[in-house]
Amino acid sequence: MKRVRKRANVGNIVIYVILSVMSVLWLLPIAWLLMISFRKEPGAYTTYLFPKALTFDNYVRLFTETSQFNFPRWYMNTLIVAVCSCVLTTIMVLMLAYTFSRLRFSSRKMFMNIGLILGMFPGFMSMIAVYHVLKAIGLAKSLVSLVLVYSGAGCLNYLVAKGFFDTIPRALDEAALLDGASRNTVFWKITLPNSKPIVVYTAITAFIAPWVDFIFVSVIMKDDYQNYTVALGLYRMLEREHIYNYFTQFCAGAVLVAIPITLLFIKIQKFYVEGVTSGAVKG
Amino acid sequence: MKKVLSLVLALMLVLTSVAAMAETVSLKVWGSQEDQAMLAEMVEEFKAANPDTEWDITFGVVGEPDAKAKYLEDPAAAADVFSFANDQLYDLLAADALYEVTRNKDEIVAANSAGAIEAASANGELYAYPMTADNGYFLYYDTSVLTEEDVQTLDGILAACGAAGKKMFMDVSNGWYIASFFLGAGCTLGLDENGKQTCDFNNEKGLAAAEAIQAFTANDAFLTGDDAILTGGMGDNIAAGVSGTWNADAIMEKLGDNYAATKLPTFTCNGEQVQMASFAGYKLVGVNTMSEHPVEAMMLAEWLTNEANQVKRFEARAMGPTNINAAASEAVQQNVALAALSLQSQFAVSQKDVLGNFWTPAEAFGTAMEAKDYSKDLQTMLDEMVAQIIA
Amino acid sequence: MRKSLRRAWDGLTQHFGALFEAFRKGDAWTRLSFVVMGMGCLARGQIVKGLLYLAAEVAFVLYMALFAWQYLSKFGTLGTVGMHKEWDEALGIYKRTPGDNSMLILLFSVMSILLIVAFLAVWRSSVLAGYKAQRLKERGEPLPGFVQDVVSLMNERYHVTLLTLPSLMVIAFTVLPIIFMILISFTNFDAEHQPPGNLFTWVGFQNFFDVFWKDPMKSHTFLGILGWTMVWAVFATFTNYLFGMILAIMINKKGIRFKAMWRTIFVITIAVPQFVSLLLMSQILHDQGPLNSLLKQWGVIKQSIPFLTNTTLARISVIVVNLWVGIPFSMLITSGILMNIPGDLYESASIDGAGPVRTFGSITLPYMLFVTTPYLITAFVGNINNFNVIYLLTKGGPLVTDYYQAGKTDLLVTWLYRLTVDKQDYSLASTIGILVFVICAVLSLIVYNRSASVKREEEFR
Repeated sequence: MKRVRKRANVGNIVIYVILSVMSVLWLLPIAWLLMISFRKEPGAYTTYLFPKALTFDNYVRLFTETSQFNFPRWYMNTLIVAVCSCVLTTIMVLMLAYTFSRLRFSSRKMFMNIGLILGMFPGFMSMIAVYHVLKAIGLAKSLVSLVLVYSGAGCLNYLVAKGFFDTIPRALDEAALLDGASRNTVFWKITLPNSKPIVVYTAITAFIAPWVDFIFVSVIMKDDYQNYTVALGLYRMLEREHIYNYFTQFCAGAVLVAIPITLLFIKIQKFYVEGVTSGAVKG
Repeated sequence: MKKVLSLVLALMLVLTSVAAMAETVSLKVWGSQEDQAMLAEMVEEFKAANPDTEWDITFGVVGEPDAKAKYLEDPAAAADVFSFANDQLYDLLAADALYEVTRNKDEIVAANSAGAIEAASANGELYAYPMTADNGYFLYYDTSVLTEEDVQTLDGILAACGAAGKKMFMDVSNGWYIASFFLGAGCTLGLDENGKQTCDFNNEKGLAAAEAIQAFTANDAFLTGDDAILTGGMGDNIAAGVSGTWNADAIMEKLGDNYAATKLPTFTCNGEQVQMASFAGYKLVGVNTMSEHPVEAMMLAEWLTNEANQVKRFEARAMGPTNINAAASEAVQQNVALAALSLQSQFAVSQKDVLGNFWTPAEAFGTAMEAKDYSKDLQTMLDEMVAQIIA
Repeated sequence: MRKSLRRAWDGLTQHFGALFEAFRKGDAWTRLSFVVMGMGCLARGQIVKGLLYLAAEVAFVLYMALFAWQYLSKFGTLGTVGMHKEWDEALGIYKRTPGDNSMLILLFSVMSILLIVAFLAVWRSSVLAGYKAQRLKERGEPLPGFVQDVVSLMNERYHVTLLTLPSLMVIAFTVLPIIFMILISFTNFDAEHQPPGNLFTWVGFQNFFDVFWKDPMKSHTFLGILGWTMVWAVFATFTNYLFGMILAIMINKKGIRFKAMWRTIFVITIAVPQFVSLLLMSQILHDQGPLNSLLKQWGVIKQSIPFLTNTTLARISVIVVNLWVGIPFSMLITSGILMNIPGDLYESASIDGAGPVRTFGSITLPYMLFVTTPYLITAFVGNINNFNVIYLLTKGGPLVTDYYQAGKTDLLVTWLYRLTVDKQDYSLASTIGILVFVICAVLSLIVYNRSASVKREEEFR
């Protein structure tokens, strides 16, 4: 018995070492980013590794010098779009996944196959068409159109969630249905509470999309500078006229983008662990 | 039925007359992000100078490099007046995007440098209003390492840099810069009568230029990279670098009193010294053919590029004027970077005739040289490159 | 294949059969509803339902007359009138009058056709609803009111409720653009046929012919890039999957503490936008970058290692960097499912005395593969179309002269991007896009429908 525990301990130590090494590898570029964001000297590249002087100015200037790069405004835009499209996408993905996992109806297979292959078309090939469709319905250059586009693209990722739903025992549903609950009630009251990991996964991926996309948004927003998202605005700082003066601010901006996503994860991680370990999921 | 019809007609009459009475001229102007404040100022003055019309002028942020792409995505929503880099001219003309400059053409032609007018013309028509002449490159150097004598020849620079343990920077894996060897050696890049690209970089002169590139990139003092490497390393490990006016402030800051700029050096080609050429690029202002008020748009475009505003542009952003009077001013002559650009301009080739196919294969050739990848002989690589450029 | 065709045919005849029957046996109101929608329901007292159908018809007619017709009527030619140019003496300019815009004609025609199809479905359901109402009334059974219809949408026909919104979004923002792009590949839409100044038109299979036969350099490039795209997709998908799963297992292992902290560390890297982290990565790996200068300082190397400019090294670099990007994602997804592995499987294994490696190989991996096939397919296709990692890290480089406008790490998507942005060669890009699309679609349909997670879908409950 003692030997077994000892072996487990050695195993755990090995795992701790591996995890620590990996953490360092994963965090190094982030540390690099943080360091540049506090660097006083401008420029995208220095011949030395560590900054000669540190400053908080890069962050301050993001919020005070807004005539050229209106960072606060873009930040709010992105936050609004991210929250809305996160909610919408998550709901739609869960709806689709539940439908295909639990409900049986004619042409279900066909719908699933279509859904599977639609996600495979390179998205940017269709950007200009999407822009004109949005323009035709009067939504071009608006934040609403961004929400619609991101959710429309995001909801095709339902397969993973469907696979997860498949692993939730059906007996729970059937019991509830026998008790007279409607399908709608079953979906909201039974299936959803049992699928926290997949909700977290879906929500995070959906929330991130608006913060990182800089190509789609530039086609949709065009010259409408006030409706940029933060990613497009930051990307603009890398143009050859700006990069020398703005690179450190660019890094500061990136750090500020990373914060809400990290916070969001830490916040919902609680549910995540709870959902996984509570045993509600089939064991 | 008749009654309804006459009612409709009457209504339409009222509507049109109302529209005519309150006719405001709505125009949209595109400019780059950093120009917005300056543009707004110029437009205010324009309104003040033309008080008879009710103006409604709005702004959109689209920089010169993106103008063509943004225009083609939705021409109807594009600006009435927009600035663009002159290498986009043919692509814009293919979409019939630009109004010919026909009003006050003679004055405009007379006021601007011949090179700028040529850069804005095609098939004998002038298609845009020249705005700035600064999209070119030349040599920045550190006077504490290099003398005026050294910077005359590439060999001189490399020798002096090597002796001082410093580097000479040039982004050879970039079609824009690498062309200076080929064009300097006497090769040409042009258009045939069908508007197809022609290129003879694979002839004997081209081969000699390629050998010079090979020798240059193999030199220990040679350094490549992007703008960031140049601005980051100037004064530290870099003593000379090929770049353009957009880096002038950064390099001036790094070099301080040792800041200097001049034309590109000569290089050794088949045993002779040959001047490196360069591309000359201009920024132009065009009037959208989809504009509802073309005449007013032309007035505005002309205003934005007149002498006073070119001076203003130089003062605010140090952008080189195309206007002959503005360019001759004391202040412009004193600007180190612009003086170097204008010195280089006599060896510059218009970038207008370079189509989109050129850049990738030229970069590919430069990449192979930088990587010292000699697995294929130079002639084969040149042939492959040219085949793609003219494809 | 034949079976599904057969089913489709049966379905079709059934659909028309129902309509035919409704016409034959319907009374005057039902027959009227073939022309004036909703009449069948209105006459039977289903007021709200009838009015909704009627409103749909009115809206459709207005849409067709006011908007769609101007485009649909030119669908066959994609426009005949180019931009008109005429000297205007009074103004002193060559006055332009816009003509047809081929791109908008094509796009709005596709949109209208989709709407027509949708309308036909609504029309059919209105006729059948009217007929059903008639029959119920004849038999003296009670008619379902509007409220009951809504209730049924929450239960028996719940799939309709759940599918409507996503389907609309997908049709508007995915299906429509895809059809549009597919049709573009049958036109000559390129730099020389650029709206609004010029028209483009149908050219049949010309573009496909060009890609494969006419230009050996293009087909050589296509095949070369296709090969690398596949290699990349396989490596990128499976390395991420495997290492992500191992990471998840390590973090979830009993006795490992600070689980939340470990997870958060890796998620922070997701939180930094890819265009930032990849840009930093490309700086770090640059010839003059910090990694090379550190290695030089330590005396490990003398010459810089060309991480991103040597073909082989660049290919390895993008795969390794992609690990950094992708492992946190696959850790997230796999750890949720790992928890679902039935515990008794492990118990019996540990009784047999299996070590961790054998347990992983014989229990964890098969189970995970079984459950996550859909994820793997999605990830694989996502990697085939992984624009960001390649574009931001190497821009496709190192470029080579024997590829047509492409480099050695270019994927098909990044190549397409270059073709459209630099050359406005939309028709060629669409053609290649479709070929990729077909390859992906066929591969994944086969794998997905043969995978255990689909075949044994029903018994898995």
